[in-house]
Amino acid sequence: MEQQQDPVIVRHRELERIANMALRAGRIMMECGASVSVVHGGVGMIARGFGVEDVGMRSGYASLEITVHAGGNTITRMMQVGRLGVNHRLDQAVRKLAVQVSHGGMSVDEVEAEIGRLVRETPRHPAWVVAVAVGIACASFGRLLGVDWAAFAAVLVAGTVGQYMRHQLLHHGVNVFIVAGLIAFLSATLGGIGSTLLNSDTVSLAMMASILLLVPGVPSTNAQTDIMDGYPTMGSARAVWVLMIMVFASVGVWFAEALLGLRSL
Amino acid sequence: MLELLPHLLHQALFGALAAAGFGVLFNFGFRALPWCAAAGALALAVRTIGQDLAWSLEGASFAAAIVTSCSVSALRKQLGPACNAVALAGCIPMVPGAFFGQALLGFLSVTAPNLVDAEATLIIAVQSLLRVIFTLGAIGAGLLIPAHLLRNQDF
Repeated sequence: MEQQQDPVIVRHRELERIANMALRAGRIMMECGASVSVVHGGVGMIARGFGVEDVGMRSGYASLEITVHAGGNTITRMMQVGRLGVNHRLDQAVRKLAVQVSHGGMSVDEVEAEIGRLVRETPRHPAWVVAVAVGIACASFGRLLGVDWAAFAAVLVAGTVGQYMRHQLLHHGVNVFIVAGLIAFLSATLGGIGSTLLNSDTVSLAMMASILLLVPGVPSTNAQTDIMDGYPTMGSARAVWVLMIMVFASVGVWFAEALLGLRSL
Repeated sequence: MLELLPHLLHQALFGALAAAGFGVLFNFGFRALPWCAAAGALALAVRTIGQDLAWSLEGASFAAAIVTSCSVSALRKQLGPACNAVALAGCIPMVPGAFFGQALLGFLSVTAPNLVDAEATLIIAVQSLLRVIFTLGAIGAGLLIPAHLLRNQDF
């Protein structure tokens, strides 16, 4: 009882709630594809909106740490970060909330409830819509690379099936690198068989175009952004991740080419 | 110049489709998707013009990213803090994923038994990898420089 009324402990508990809530917002931004400087900016805005005087942050690839100081009290908390993807609408919604919180007038409970609502209610395109869109994108990539019209159709189907299967596998918790290898094998095989059946003259290009859904464009750009913004550790981690994804994807294509007799194992 | 127009339109069209397709994957809203497509079309048009003027892929990609980033920054009032993300989506079709794959497949080939022309295979793989690194660097720098200089808001 005595401990609960100790003003230092009470203030620590308040700071802890602010820190955890700010970290949760930061984690969502990070998982939605924001760069480190944006995450730090958003978390800082939220914490200062509750009267925190100093905010210190450290970002790793799989965790975020924050130290907040207010009224002579300081605490440090850490939070795990999940798989990094891209979700533009949720990212923008959390950034908007950070601006709102920075103006003051919201309680910690209200902000926590709002973050929960955003996570639950921010719309996502249905999986089949994403699959078709990615199929079209892969086929368009193919045209930019020089595949003929016969291969265009094959790449479209291969990209669509590949994206749908990738969604299902990731949804079931399969390791992201294994997914990259499997999907590269599946899409390249489908693209290769399809373009061969349609008498395409650009079978190898079609196989390559079919796996372009796996190329991590946003993480590779974020890697550079982070390094330029002064976070080389995180930038390097992202670059290594990009390289590993491409290694697994290339091995998948290698096996697909071997299966279709275009290359010996 | 007129004879290049069909090729230019072809590249812009498929650049737009690729950018919009990846925009859906990145969960852009339906109102933002046309902007992604427009940014993709602009980026590919500028890169194609650059390559038609005999610029390197890296130089043309850098120019395309700069033009796209500046154009999207001019629309800050309409797009708000999302303008940087729209510019990035527009430049996604320029990411040299195929070269990346070729480079890694080339390196895998070098280790294969009974390789006939190891030097040529290695040189092609290294060239592809260097092209990937420089092109990604060009796109990233082309996107970031205007965004920093024009002080685009992240929030």
